[in-house]
Amino acid sequence: MKNLKIDETKYTPEMTFDPETLVIAIKGKSYPENTEEFYKPAFEWLEKNLSDLGKKGLTVNLELIYFNSSSSKALMNFFDMLEESVDNGDNITVNWMYEEDNESILEYGEEFLEDIETLPFNLVPLKSRE
Amino acid sequence: MLDDLYGVTSDLGNEGIFFCLSGPMSQELLVEIGGAIKNKMLMDEASKSTMSQVFSIIVEMVQNIIFYSDEKLEYEQLGETSSCNVGLIAVGEEKDSYFVMSGNMIKNEKVNRLKNRIEKLVAMSKDELKKFYKEQRRAGPDEYSKGAGLGYIEMARKTSRPLGFEFREIDENMSFFSIITYV
Repeated sequence: MKNLKIDETKYTPEMTFDPETLVIAIKGKSYPENTEEFYKPAFEWLEKNLSDLGKKGLTVNLELIYFNSSSSKALMNFFDMLEESVDNGDNITVNWMYEEDNESILEYGEEFLEDIETLPFNLVPLKSRE
Repeated sequence: MLDDLYGVTSDLGNEGIFFCLSGPMSQELLVEIGGAIKNKMLMDEASKSTMSQVFSIIVEMVQNIIFYSDEKLEYEQLGETSSCNVGLIAVGEEKDSYFVMSGNMIKNEKVNRLKNRIEKLVAMSKDELKKFYKEQRRAGPDEYSKGAGLGYIEMARKTSRPLGFEFREIDENMSFFSIITYV
């Protein structure tokens, strides 16, 4: 399996996959100018590997400190894709991490949770970094 | 011009505006604007949530200028013509709230469509906006949108007072569109 590794920039998050722990980690900010283009390689990687990973048990850790409205759309597509996999019997868990004093990231997580039916989706508070 | 510059800056100050940039916008510039506003708001001891809401509105507005402004600055680079879209972004404070404004040129033929869209959002309650946002997030953008078509809904949801907006006709081709949100 070709590994997923996209480095962080000032306005796009780091995306990595650890084949040992079966964890996809997405971390940082997300407000690219062209969101669709930016997320395309990650979605393509996921399409190729999701059925295999879902059987083994996949964890997705999201630690976004800021994202724009078109990234929110990309995230919704991402969760829909994972949910479809869960509906086909796969084992996937999403952890939505937020700094405990950043209410707006918590609220975004809660709103995703409202729109998700079967995908396990946890809201995980983190200690504030400042 | 030079002796008017103090007048310009004191006019901005009198309006409560502490940051204002008018000219060609870019993604790189947006990152720097975000950094400057963050420093100012850290000094104000604003909450993380407020900072992130103000930043969010700046991002949506500047990216709207980058995508949709009809005033363009063309330049040659390595034999290719590139263009940068021109607009204005301003951030200020008024009593207990921050405000973010943006302005850019728009072709007259596009005015009605945008005006109807924003008027529709202004008439909605916060619950209706939330529902509409979620519908649009799943439905995808319309044919005129280059992003997800969620930017104005996001602004309408974040603003603590109704969105203010204006279209001023400049000539037979262009109007100036301005919009303000409060956090």
